[in-house]
Amino acid sequence: MSSSIQQLLEGKIDFEGQKSVERITHYAFAVLTAVSFVLGFTLQSLSVTFGIFGLGVALLLVAVIPPWPPYNKHPVQWLPARETKKE
Amino acid sequence: MHTVYSRINNVSATLSTSLMVLLAAIACSSLLFTADPKGTLDVTSVKIFNGDSRRYSHRRGEYAFVNFNITADLSPLFNWNTKQLFLYLQAEYTNAQGVQNEVVIWDRIVRRKDDAVLKVVGKNKYTFREYSSKFKDVPPARYSLKYNLMPYVGLLTYGEAAQTTAPVQFPSAKERVE
Repeated sequence: MSSSIQQLLEGKIDFEGQKSVERITHYAFAVLTAVSFVLGFTLQSLSVTFGIFGLGVALLLVAVIPPWPPYNKHPVQWLPARETKKE
Repeated sequence: MHTVYSRINNVSATLSTSLMVLLAAIACSSLLFTADPKGTLDVTSVKIFNGDSRRYSHRRGEYAFVNFNITADLSPLFNWNTKQLFLYLQAEYTNAQGVQNEVVIWDRIVRRKDDAVLKVVGKNKYTFREYSSKFKDVPPARYSLKYNLMPYVGLLTYGEAAQTTAPVQFPSAKERVE
């Protein structure tokens, strides 16, 4: 019972999923900073800037933190167990 | 990035970096706004009376009372990064001993663009006394309205919005109000 809770809290994703998550975070933050600055500057309102930034961060957290199934589509292919010779 | 905790760690680190870049960009954007509004300042009357200092009743001195008019439109100074404007009216003169003095006699904080259009008929808020206790033989003073632009993020900037066109004389002291 405790092992399934532990698995749930750990939220493991495979290596391909980790690569995607890293790519998504970096691109999302770069785009978000640029968009929120430009929109706020043209509308001359700091609330617009931080509103968009906050919304973007919330969406990113939802997209990246939980271990969604698409991040587990490439599990590690372990080699079959080999018989060890007992001398 | 293999566990939830390491993903949270990673995202929060990138978040703080992007936030700092965003704030630096906002601070730099203030450099693009180069408004330099000017207004008019008239000193309508200066009266000097002998009086006692409030704290030390034995210490007599001369106190100046200044009435002035200000008209200025400072709304060009308000951009997205302006938090408030601190306006102050100062009297600048060199006293009889040759010391340069700058006395702030009135100030105001302006937080909104609509409040930045000034039409003030006022008198000095703060005590205006000469440090060497007499205004006798002091050359005429120049009054100027200066402002300090306080941004949300960035450096404080200063400017001068108005000044008296001609130097204003200090009259001789009167003993009491007639």
